[in-house]
Amino acid sequence: MTPDLTTTVGKIQLKNPILTASGTFGYGEEYAEFYDLSALGGIILKGTTLEPREGNPPTRIAETPAGMLNAIGLQNPGIDAVITDKLPSLSRFDTAVIVNISGRTVDEYAELARRLDPVPSIAAIEVNISCPNVQHGGMQFGVDPVLIRDLVQAVRGQTTHPLVVKLSPNVTDILVMGEAAVEAGADALSAINTLLGMAIDVERRRPVLANVTGGLSGPAIRPVAVRMVWQLARELDVPIIGSGGIMTARDAVEFILAGASAVAVGTANFVDPRAALKVVHGLRDFCGTHGVSRIAELVGAVQTG
Amino acid sequence: MESLAARITRREEVAPHHITLELDCPAIAHAATPGQFVHVRVSGTDDPLLRRPISIMLRDNYRGRIEILVRAVGRGTAILSNLAPGSALDIIGPLGHGFPVPEEDSRVLLVAGGVGVAPLIFLADTLQLAEQQHYVRGLLGAATEDMLVCWQDFAGRCEAFQAATEDGTAGARGLVTELVSEQLQRGVDIVYTCGPRPMMARVAELCAEQSVPCWASLEQFMGCGVGACLGCVIPTRLQPKHRRVCKDGPVFSASEVAWEELSE
Repeated sequence: MTPDLTTTVGKIQLKNPILTASGTFGYGEEYAEFYDLSALGGIILKGTTLEPREGNPPTRIAETPAGMLNAIGLQNPGIDAVITDKLPSLSRFDTAVIVNISGRTVDEYAELARRLDPVPSIAAIEVNISCPNVQHGGMQFGVDPVLIRDLVQAVRGQTTHPLVVKLSPNVTDILVMGEAAVEAGADALSAINTLLGMAIDVERRRPVLANVTGGLSGPAIRPVAVRMVWQLARELDVPIIGSGGIMTARDAVEFILAGASAVAVGTANFVDPRAALKVVHGLRDFCGTHGVSRIAELVGAVQTG
Repeated sequence: MESLAARITRREEVAPHHITLELDCPAIAHAATPGQFVHVRVSGTDDPLLRRPISIMLRDNYRGRIEILVRAVGRGTAILSNLAPGSALDIIGPLGHGFPVPEEDSRVLLVAGGVGVAPLIFLADTLQLAEQQHYVRGLLGAATEDMLVCWQDFAGRCEAFQAATEDGTAGARGLVTELVSEQLQRGVDIVYTCGPRPMMARVAELCAEQSVPCWASLEQFMGCGVGACLGCVIPTRLQPKHRRVCKDGPVFSASEVAWEELSE
């Protein structure tokens, strides 16, 4: 019997729970050379801002133990180019397309949502309040519940698309931030973005990254991410997209058991361009060998007592 | 573009901490052009995590094999350089845009520094086999004689060849860039270069002075290798300014690179 991998994240219908994390999959076309993206539950596009951005100067990437630091700095062609040049070609795939947005101000976020509102081909908007790599790229919002509330309310007022709010792990209590987002109208939460980190070249006595600090991703952060997803899912009645170092189907199941309705594969795409596809296949195998007929049965099914 | 398991068919130590690996991977060998690279996973574990971009040094189209030159500078390349023949290696390729083809019967100058010789050997090999009668001169620089890696592979594919070492143990004493002016005076239609950034920046400057087109192959820390992550950009004089080494390069027109902003 083929297991039922369909899942819902609030109002977002997915054929399976595997998405690609923002910033790790470009606008999809780079990976369409390796496989048919229709196999995925969805694609979360690279962070998009109102105006085009050059991003940070190089060096932008550093490898760390079982992980990597990045400080790309939201390089992107701007929302109008994304709507005109990127989204139309993605409609050939039978997969949910989620646009990730970032701004300097509440008004910029609201304007981004307003411009995306009439675009019918997208399944949701992911509001990035957690990018650690630009001075005004979101994280200043993501660490303050009052700002989160104002921002999400403003975005909510501009669009009928489902809103996913992507939370920062760089906080003392992620639950407070999640609650604020939900109260202001978020349909779902995305957890987690990268952890703020730093690497130093000991020969040159200089930071490896030109931006000095960057966002840590990869398997190294998975336990932190699983814990935060579990904390959110335990207390809040809101669907969660889990992410942080998912490399295999077993890693995805870990997040689902912690309470995620869907998961996003990120850094693994760099290690293996077919990583997300392999997680879809692996998830099907896992369900088969474990007698799971519907993946939705596993959401939040971890036993802690 | 392929993602596959390639078998190591030969391993050779060509200098201290420098090895060449021959890989059996017909799909990549058939598709590769000079200047392109492969993205290599050095271990099956999560640490080290990222792949390593490595230039294709030669390909044997008939046998379906490529050769790569590895300099063991860090943990990843050290693991890679210790793999034995018979091992399987997970590689993606061929990636990136290679060197543009010179016009008919061009006088070509290739300027290499250290392991930067690898893509220029592939280019020299291709030009040698081309139907057009290019006149190819090669220059190779290194700190010492034993760091003139694969110089015979390079020299054997050029009509004229000259080496330079900083300590004078082989060839001309000094920097290879000091030989470039002399070559440009003799008449050159196009220059291709790969090596340390200060070397390439100087070659670019000399070519600009003489209005000779110059193409440089660059290297950068890389995430995905396929153009998605924007981790490997370099500053250029174009708009938008930051261009991806993996997808827009690794070969760039030297006049478009903002050399003064490139860190070492």
